[in-house]
Amino acid sequence: MLIDRFVDGKAHNYTRQSLSQITKPRSARIVSRGRTPSPNHPMQTYPTLRSSLSLYLLVLPTLFLLAIFSFVPVMMAFYNSFYEYEVGGERTWVGFQNYIDYLTADPTAMVSFVNMALLTLMAIVIRLTIPLVVAKLIHTLPNERHRYLYRLAFLIPTVVPVVAVQLIWGSLILGETGLINTLLENLGYEDLAHGWLSDPNTALIALACIGFPWITGFEVLIYYAGLSNIPESVHEAAQLDSATGIKKFLLIDVPLVLSQIKLIFMLVLINGIQGFELIFILTQGGPGFETYVPGLWMYENAFSFQKMGYASSIGVILFVVIFMLTLLNMKYFKSAEDMQGQ
Amino acid sequence: MRRTPYLQHSLLLIGVVLTLVPFYFVISNAVRSNNEIFRSPFGFPQALTNMVSFTTLSLTGRASEISYVVRISVDDEIVFETRRDGYKAAMRAQWKIMTNGYIYAWEVLRGYMLNSLLVSLTSAVGVLLLGSISAYVFARYRFPGSNILFYVIISVMMIPGILTLVPSVQLVTALDLRNSYTVLILPYIATGQVFAIFVLRSFFRGLSEDLFDAARIDGAGHFHLYRHVVLPLSLPSLSVIAVMNILATWNGFMWPFIVNSDQKYHVIASGLFNMTTGPIADNYSAMFSAYVLASIPLLLLFVYATRPFIQGLSTGAFKA
Repeated sequence: MLIDRFVDGKAHNYTRQSLSQITKPRSARIVSRGRTPSPNHPMQTYPTLRSSLSLYLLVLPTLFLLAIFSFVPVMMAFYNSFYEYEVGGERTWVGFQNYIDYLTADPTAMVSFVNMALLTLMAIVIRLTIPLVVAKLIHTLPNERHRYLYRLAFLIPTVVPVVAVQLIWGSLILGETGLINTLLENLGYEDLAHGWLSDPNTALIALACIGFPWITGFEVLIYYAGLSNIPESVHEAAQLDSATGIKKFLLIDVPLVLSQIKLIFMLVLINGIQGFELIFILTQGGPGFETYVPGLWMYENAFSFQKMGYASSIGVILFVVIFMLTLLNMKYFKSAEDMQGQ
Repeated sequence: MRRTPYLQHSLLLIGVVLTLVPFYFVISNAVRSNNEIFRSPFGFPQALTNMVSFTTLSLTGRASEISYVVRISVDDEIVFETRRDGYKAAMRAQWKIMTNGYIYAWEVLRGYMLNSLLVSLTSAVGVLLLGSISAYVFARYRFPGSNILFYVIISVMMIPGILTLVPSVQLVTALDLRNSYTVLILPYIATGQVFAIFVLRSFFRGLSEDLFDAARIDGAGHFHLYRHVVLPLSLPSLSVIAVMNILATWNGFMWPFIVNSDQKYHVIASGLFNMTTGPIADNYSAMFSAYVLASIPLLLLFVYATRPFIQGLSTGAFKA
């Protein structure tokens, strides 16, 4: 073990401390291997700046790209939100006026936040339940081949571009001559058939129903991973306590896949608040302002009305909402995991 | 002996059918003529039915009876009518109906497909390269500021796209990058590498120190350790990251749609949306064919990558 320290050619980097670690009993070094880098590592002992220059150079491309496409835009977003200006026009410092205008005087703010909340809530309820139940159903199958085939089948739609799926739902299923209306006509409910996305009363609910039966292969796989990690002994113990069926699922499986539930919850929540692609493609916020969401209004302000400052302030507000909910969620779910005794 | 779980199978099969029904109609409509789709969007392709009956006739020795009238109508007015006699000619006419939409769609889609392929593959390679190098540096070395730098990079995962969308567009406009491949590829690498660094760093840390010691005894340098020890061991994680990045880039719509005004630089997602507002929009057959064509590259990717992908995800390669 000692020899390779010196064939490594970096021996000059070792301080007295690291040499003493090398000569420590091996068991002691194994114990110290954990989340921190193992102490017998060559670069462990804070080399001088000169010897770590190559390391800085190696992470430089990463940092450079992040600076241009993340850090600078973040700063610009905050900075611009305090100005009123149009593309190519003059900048005027307006302080918090953009925020105040949006939150108090913008006629779209209320309806779009309500829409966002409803769509997000519905998405969360759906995607925390249906893929989990499907994953559980697959997981209980005794035949490994069947389990694989079902996972594969639910994954197939992933190959269709998301935009194509959205356009297909808009025309083939919810359109005037779409599947829903054809079914209704054949069943004798002609009067119910109409353009689901163009009727103000049904546009929002139609958007929420897109993707039925909402069995996303990706989410099924993540829940399935969680279910697979539950030790068999837990189920055997539950069997002894004569827990069966739904009760066992709710009391044993659900708490033990909580970290997967947390992951999906966060993804759906963040996407629900910032996502406006589906609405942009299918309704453009219409009819009227029925299906507007804040993200779409930000897009319109920036790229249709050229009100960059105002758009930036909407972006910042959405960021703050996401940030607060993320913090709340981390706090809440941590306590839930503590309760499991992890 | 466990009994067959009929209840689970029937529920799952209902789920599979409901999930796949829309895609069945897309595939079927792609080989139907516009007239057929206009009459009913949910029928079985007439051309296929015809082909089956022609083949039956020809196999039963009644090929001479086959004749097929090709009618091309615009607004219910027949503008062209011709007769195809004999098995081969009639079959060719059916084939033409079936491929008609695809030919139109391919004309429009070809450029978008090539752009998407280029952008997805280049950015996936970039993400893997930058992500694995940075993850390796942060996992195996410590240098002044290494922890701070790492948390600065990871903090990007907390920045939602909605915050940076508008200023990013302003920035690339100011840098005169719009309408180029650079503006399509670099942002995807910039944001995609963060998750890769996050996942790979913890994976690289978990690798046994003995492996590195053994390689060092053999005289391996830093690059050698990275290239011949770390990378081969992390192939499963790398391939899942690659697939996820390709999926994300292939589906990316808003960014390419906003930053490109030139048709030349549109990708699949923005291109498909542009098609619905373009002259091809009324050509339903071509639209459905375009959806099918746009799905083929990812289908091919999945044929090769599904097994490691399902297994990687199912065994919890990525936990929250």
